Amino acid sequence: MLQQIIAIVIIIFFVFRLAAQKKKKIISHNEFSLWLAFWLVAAAAIIFIKQIDRLVAWLGFSGSGINFLIYIAVLALFYLIFRLQLDHAKMDKNLTEIVRQITLKK
Amino acid sequence: MKITCVIPAYNEAKNISLVVSGVRPFVDEVVVVDDCSRDDTFDLAKQAGAIVFRHPLNRGQGAALQTGNDYALEHQADIIVHFDADDQFLASEIKDMVAPILAGRADIVFGSRFLGKKSNLPTFKKYLIMPLARLFTRVILGIKLSDPQNGFRALSQAAARRIRINNRGMAHNSEIQIKAFQEKLRIAEVPITVVYHHFGQKLAGGFKVIRDLLIHKIIK
Repeated sequence: MLQQIIAIVIIIFFVFRLAAQKKKKIISHNEFSLWLAFWLVAAAAIIFIKQIDRLVAWLGFSGSGINFLIYIAVLALFYLIFRLQLDHAKMDKNLTEIVRQITLKK
Repeated sequence: MKITCVIPAYNEAKNISLVVSGVRPFVDEVVVVDDCSRDDTFDLAKQAGAIVFRHPLNRGQGAALQTGNDYALEHQADIIVHFDADDQFLASEIKDMVAPILAGRADIVFGSRFLGKKSNLPTFKKYLIMPLARLFTRVILGIKLSDPQNGFRALSQAAARRIRINNRGMAHNSEIQIKAFQEKLRIAEVPITVVYHHFGQKLAGGFKVIRDLLIHKIIK
């Protein structure tokens, strides 16, 4: 219970920080919505951890709900890194093309 | 037949004059693409008689080669020779490289260190890196060439138009070979000599090549 409260407090801190960034126009409306949804899902996962435990058991996994969430988070991180790498490669390719055009003064 | 030699160069002030002067008697035009060197590569290449371009940012050997190809194609080169700036290759072998294209037997010619002529290949490279690279290119990429990593090559104008180099780093080597096979070009291999002054690409570089090939396959 104490761990859940600490986690929720941390999430509330990040949501306030997010709202402040939005107010100062550091982040766009879409970015704000995305991160708000992320933190709300994280808070829901913490509040309903018992239900997730039952869901995980029903799905046939031996670990607890929190383990399951960590596995999902690791998978999501790998996917995000992969996407970032692809985006980076696309930008890199475009940059090379611009450099080439400047070099040959097209 | 107009033969243009494209030399990508990065911090090659030590060798570029020698390389450009060595190559000039064997081709009609020498194009050096200085990949944003911090030394005098640009000026020295110009003084040696090359047409010189300078990338405003360092973009890698593959990118420099494509810049050179773009220029050569725009100026009606019939054959484009890729040649390294580090004085590893013998300029006198350019005539052997372009011969199969001139004879109409090939669209692209790859130099090979493993077809008879002797190169002073470092032992580790010869007995570990090269066999692994050869195995990878044969089994995974389906490329049947004796030398999987050789920067000395000659392309006909048609071949250069069909092969656009997207990998700006060292993966361009494999990319060119893959595209030559995919485009069903007539491929020839010619024995060449490589004089090693330094080790060159290491094993870790090989893994980077695989990663870059994979990424460019996805973002294509």
